[in-house]
Amino acid sequence: MWFEQVLFFIAGIGALAGALGVVVLRNPFYSVLALVAHLLALAVLFLLLHAEFLAAGQVVVYAGAVMVLYIFVVAYIGGSDEPLRPEGGLLNAFGPLFAAAIGVELCIAFIASGLDALDTRGADVGAGFGSPAEIGQLLLTRFLVPFEAASYLLLVAAVGAVVLARRRRGLEDIGALEEVGAPPDRRNPPSAETTLEVRV
Amino acid sequence: MLEGTIVLIVKSIVIFAVFLQIVPLILLGERKLLGRFQSRIGPNRVGPKGLAQPIADVLKLLSKEQFTPATSVPWMMAIAPVISVTTAIATMAVIPFGPYDAWGGGFGLYGIDVSIGLLYFFAFGSLAFYGLVLGGWSSGSKYSFLGAMRAAAQLISYEVALGLSLLGVAMTAGSLSLVDIVEHQDGMWFVVPQFVGFCIFVVAGFAETARAPFDLPEGDAEIVGGYHTEFGGMRFGSFFMAEYMEVLIISGIGAACFLGGWRGPGPIELAPLWMLLKIILGATFFIWVRASMPRLRYDQLMSFGWKVLLPLATLNVLVTAIILVAT
Repeated sequence: MWFEQVLFFIAGIGALAGALGVVVLRNPFYSVLALVAHLLALAVLFLLLHAEFLAAGQVVVYAGAVMVLYIFVVAYIGGSDEPLRPEGGLLNAFGPLFAAAIGVELCIAFIASGLDALDTRGADVGAGFGSPAEIGQLLLTRFLVPFEAASYLLLVAAVGAVVLARRRRGLEDIGALEEVGAPPDRRNPPSAETTLEVRV
Repeated sequence: MLEGTIVLIVKSIVIFAVFLQIVPLILLGERKLLGRFQSRIGPNRVGPKGLAQPIADVLKLLSKEQFTPATSVPWMMAIAPVISVTTAIATMAVIPFGPYDAWGGGFGLYGIDVSIGLLYFFAFGSLAFYGLVLGGWSSGSKYSFLGAMRAAAQLISYEVALGLSLLGVAMTAGSLSLVDIVEHQDGMWFVVPQFVGFCIFVVAGFAETARAPFDLPEGDAEIVGGYHTEFGGMRFGSFFMAEYMEVLIISGIGAACFLGGWRGPGPIELAPLWMLLKIILGATFFIWVRASMPRLRYDQLMSFGWKVLLPLATLNVLVTAIILVAT
């Protein structure tokens, strides 16, 4: 039992430190890494809540797939010598204010429900709670409609990504380009050389 | 409670020790076999028939300088190999070497048997990526960076196919736990009903471990050594070790999911021996392919992964699902 408690505090501190690191660190690459650390700490917290499947999903999907794309973009584009800075003005003045307001509100909500749970052993969960079998059962019975709706949303997003990606290399069929609203330069029709350049 | 903890600790030490001992042996086996495949003799100077070669290699790596380039991020170069090795060793916990109570004493011959078994493998597999990317990025060298980005793109692309190829097995067995999956291969190994899945798994496994013919992340003819170009001494050794551990893991997962795991003739006490034999055979197959196949081009790798392997894997899952529902 004490081991779980120690793990909880380590993961909790890790999650908070990671979240702070994302906004405080100046180098975007380190910010992304802090976000990865935050997500991993969250996965540990999920494990402590008997949500094994969710923890594995968190690591595979967020830390393993989504963040990889972030790292790609930041590593290619974001130079370490160009720190991200806000433009100043209104955003600088009101940003911390709103953040503090939301922080206070969340603290009130969480501490209220957290104090209730003191001296209890937490929610009673069944033996198979959080296992892949149980989650699969729920997804295909009780939450079937939201589950299917989400999968259609992902399908639409994937098709959209393919369409957007095709637009850039569409110099070989100018007709298709006009349809999606990117007029080609009539005065300088693409020569073989420029086509090659775009394809590369 | 205390007894269970002690058993777990002993298991961890045994798994760690066994796999750490196998890696140098596989390395020696690879050099010997590669020599034979290429009509050479291979290492034969250190010890009888070159058997002590791995010790000499490790001693050399340990005594070498830990060089860090001026443009690098030194602390990150220090932790990147640690991430690679840690994730590799953590994955080995789920590879089953025998059923529960095979040797008596009330424990199973596996590190842990979790309900998310295969997902655990994928979770740590996707974390292994950070070892490569941090290593490549923190080196501050263009070749390292190119290698890291190649590795990232390759791992992401082939992990999808790898996952789908194992999904057929998970659906047939009705469980993600590797112990349950082996238990379900009672009458027939899954390599027969899931043959397409097995082929996809093998190909994607080669890409996932970045071994030849998919070793573009360290394609030495193009980008020196890829993500570990700037690493020296035991840090390079750790990356190297992690690579061979990945080979053992893919062989182990493949053996458990498709080749009947610990099943074999003889009494149940021999289970770990069969599993070990299957893993070693898998690793030998990796070496054989390395000696036989030329490296792919990068665009070939990508288009093969997304346009051939992924649709095939999806189709395999679909057909498996239809058959399972129909019968």
